[in-house]
Amino acid sequence: MGVAGDARTRVAPRPQAEAGPWRHVWGRRLLPYALIAPALIVILGVLGYPLGMLLWLSTQHYGLRELIQHQGEFVGLQNFQTFRVDPQFRYVLTVSLIFTVVNVGLSMLFATGIALLLERVSRAVRILLSAGLVLVWATPSIPAIDLWQWMFDYEFGVVNWLLTHLGAGNYIHHNWFENPIQGFSVITVIVVWGAIPFLALMIYAGLTQVPRELVEAAEIDGARSWQVFARITVPILRPVFLVVISLSTIWDFGVFNQVWVLLNQRPSQDYFLMSVYSFQESFRVSQFGLGSAAAVVTIAILVVVTFAYVRQTVRLTEDAV
Amino acid sequence: MNPRKLLFTVAAAVALLATACGGTTPTTSTGNETGTLTVWLMNGSAPQSIVDGVNADFKAKHPNVTVNVEIQQWSDVTTKLDTAFAGSAPPDIMELGNTLVAKYAAAGALQDISSKKSSFENSGTWLQSLTDSCTYQKKLYCVPYYAGSRAVIYRTDLFSAAGVQPPTSMDQLMTVGQTLMAKYGSDPNFSALYFPGKYWYAAAPFVWDFGGDIATQSGTKWTGAINNSQSQQGLTALQSLVSKLSRADKTGDEAKQDQAFAQGHIAMIIANGWEVGVITDPKAGDPTLKDKLGAFPIPSHNAGQTAPVFLGGSDLGIAAKSQHQALAQEWLNLLGGTKFQSQMVTVGGVIPNTTSLVSLSSGLPAIFAAAAKNSRFTPNSPNWANVESANVLQDMLVSIFTGKASIPTATSAASDKIATILNS
Amino acid sequence: MSRRIVARTFFDTVGVLILVVMLFPIYWMVSTALKPGKEILSLTPVWFPSPITFDNFRTAINVPFFWNDVVNSLTVVLSVVAISIALAFLAAVSVARFGFRGRTAFVVMVIAVQMVPLNALVIPMYLLLDRVGQVDTLLGVIAYYLAIVLPFMIWTLRGFVANVPVDLEEAAMVDGATRVGAFLRIVFPLVAPGLVATAIFGFIQAWNEYIIAYVLLSSSSKQTLTIWLASFTTQHGTDWGGLMAGATLTALPVVVFFLLVQRHVAGGLTAGAVKG
Repeated sequence: MGVAGDARTRVAPRPQAEAGPWRHVWGRRLLPYALIAPALIVILGVLGYPLGMLLWLSTQHYGLRELIQHQGEFVGLQNFQTFRVDPQFRYVLTVSLIFTVVNVGLSMLFATGIALLLERVSRAVRILLSAGLVLVWATPSIPAIDLWQWMFDYEFGVVNWLLTHLGAGNYIHHNWFENPIQGFSVITVIVVWGAIPFLALMIYAGLTQVPRELVEAAEIDGARSWQVFARITVPILRPVFLVVISLSTIWDFGVFNQVWVLLNQRPSQDYFLMSVYSFQESFRVSQFGLGSAAAVVTIAILVVVTFAYVRQTVRLTEDAV
Repeated sequence: MNPRKLLFTVAAAVALLATACGGTTPTTSTGNETGTLTVWLMNGSAPQSIVDGVNADFKAKHPNVTVNVEIQQWSDVTTKLDTAFAGSAPPDIMELGNTLVAKYAAAGALQDISSKKSSFENSGTWLQSLTDSCTYQKKLYCVPYYAGSRAVIYRTDLFSAAGVQPPTSMDQLMTVGQTLMAKYGSDPNFSALYFPGKYWYAAAPFVWDFGGDIATQSGTKWTGAINNSQSQQGLTALQSLVSKLSRADKTGDEAKQDQAFAQGHIAMIIANGWEVGVITDPKAGDPTLKDKLGAFPIPSHNAGQTAPVFLGGSDLGIAAKSQHQALAQEWLNLLGGTKFQSQMVTVGGVIPNTTSLVSLSSGLPAIFAAAAKNSRFTPNSPNWANVESANVLQDMLVSIFTGKASIPTATSAASDKIATILNS
Repeated sequence: MSRRIVARTFFDTVGVLILVVMLFPIYWMVSTALKPGKEILSLTPVWFPSPITFDNFRTAINVPFFWNDVVNSLTVVLSVVAISIALAFLAAVSVARFGFRGRTAFVVMVIAVQMVPLNALVIPMYLLLDRVGQVDTLLGVIAYYLAIVLPFMIWTLRGFVANVPVDLEEAAMVDGATRVGAFLRIVFPLVAPGLVATAIFGFIQAWNEYIIAYVLLSSSSKQTLTIWLASFTTQHGTDWGGLMAGATLTALPVVVFFLLVQRHVAGGLTAGAVKG
């Protein structure tokens, strides 16, 4: 959008039909559609029916009996009403939003730092560090959370042992989950730890696209590293940042495994994040209509929360080329 | 169409239309059938040798029928069952945890086999609680498979060093425990009786022993019973034991208690029979404890008696949509019959589905098998699974043990919640 | 000159420290896999297994159908990654390079689909695949995984493609390259790091997914490694040593995949030259 140094907009925008070197492509009007067609067919073909059914189910009373007999009972918006009048819903929503903001913020902070670091280390360390990040990213979720649970365990935990032996106090038999604030802090550590690899590698990939000449020119002009970062890097990286922040928000809002596994599949109500609450109130008791309504509510909330980011992404899409 | 073919077509049509009411299908088997019988067993339930034996015997009678035994994992198994029953071709036979049966029976997923009960070997002597778990609205929906019960596992060496014997009453249990705490309690990790707060299945015996219960049913209405005076008495006795004898996490559950026991700082735990194997397993625990373990049934508050225990275990059901009702019943009769149930005891180390074979247990397992004779089951309602999912009893116990609520308050809140869920 | 070396050494040290912190739980996982029973969950932390035992790995590999599961997982994952990268790249190029009617709708659809909680789709998905007879087939699983990774891939690749200026391709064409050649030789290497990150994302999504694989695949011969990993938990509790050995074995192929792909696109990592 005309930010100085934005490589893409140094070229004057061209009229649509003559876009770049493709103007002589036969059937140029069909080409873009042909390119998106395979992906579109797969996505709609596979997800079309389930998504439609999800919407339909959200208006049905659909328990186990209805599922087996393929016959539901239409209840209109009653499922949604159930959530609206549930006093716990407000608590769940608030906690989930705060949790998401904290997690996204911390994840982005650390991931950006590590991405910048990856640019500046020697090649051997870069490969080592990226491989290490991939290893963390690739470790199956449940065993990884089990490991964290052990580390914070009441009696077997390394953390309790270390804190006591390093003199931070008596942490023998300290229960990290009795107090929800402490418990959520532990959960945040785990979520951020798991989120960093993907975010860092994505941002780093984006960083490799920053033209080196621009950076060097700015440095010759006397710019300090944080100025280079703020004035050159961030604007170029804006599309990438928008994407990863939106994704982070979507994923962190839907955190489930960490809570579920850490609390041995029986979390107390203080720990009900949106996905845990939805699962516990619906799918766990085989109420699929209610569960579908919960999913629809979650989507609606996410649309609202990520609206600003998504709108910018769409605008960027429209401005390009 | 000739009459025989017409009859077959009609029979096939009836089978296809069988719904929640559990339509019956002709059940003749002549040995000439073809087809595939699909069986879902849970991971870890039956030793492979037993499954092979059942299949071999079955094949002798029905050489043209292929039996596919598929092992399913416990993680998210209810989702798998939900989708399988909803689909067009569920497995013919599946193993279900006994607390899940009522839910699926009520939803019409399982075949009503009440009329076939007598054709199953040993059905007259099936363990009562397992049979209860298979019964919904007075109809039989599955065959008991195997059971597990709880007793107290203890360290014989710690006991003899402290000069105590296995107790035969609850009061004795307290004195034994306190003697042990006096001798070893200076070790901050030592518990005379290690009792994690959420361990509902170990708390139930105390409630039942004093004559209390979780919920009672009159007609179709359920009333919570966990708050009546007898239940509260049982919980009071338990709380006293826990506060004086246990250093376990009051908000934790029993998932890691065997590993804790294997560390050597615990004198007693309430546990299932198979937990002995976990404690002494070289990959999971401490094999040197093998000769130092003993067991005794949870004592009653009436001296000389034992407290009623919760009978865990699995049942085997036939899908209502199955096209091979007769074959499935025969296969079930093999796995649930004397020959292979005996092997389940001797090779599998579990409690069989019939009292007539219980005496085959020897050694420590025999103590658990004997305890199983005095067993109870949870309220047999299709909504019971929802009470478990809602963590009502676990949360109640935690609030009692951590002191957040008094026993009367905690139990009455739990009782209301249980009634609401069961009656929904 | 020496200032650069000092700076680089400083960053290298920080990098290694971060590596140690991030990998600490992984270290715990691997050492647990090598520990004998009593040391796994121990009141005093056992930092280094003694004696080191490979029993857990041995048991893990000797689970029936293990190698079957490996082949199935590889089949599913490699199919998903190959097809999804191809399809997503084409779609990303389309959205990034062309204006066409419906582009905004397509982009919005792609983003919106990612907000759907996947566990709510399990039952509708199953019923759909049941209807087309693809229950208990690897094809059904592949189709589902494709549908859920494509939106993400399209969205992120679009960003990377858009970041490569159009005039680069034009300059190459002026120099005599064909339009396809210009595209492949100029744009492709520049989005390579993005492609690598996206491919790994697809790999991991498909490799570690449990619930759909479990619900769809019942035959022992069709199951995948995630189901194998779940088999270490039974109604008797969890075989922790086996589980951690299994988790280690599961994580390693992804790192191998990364290192392989890394090597072939190393050029992209050091490039970044944009002609004036």
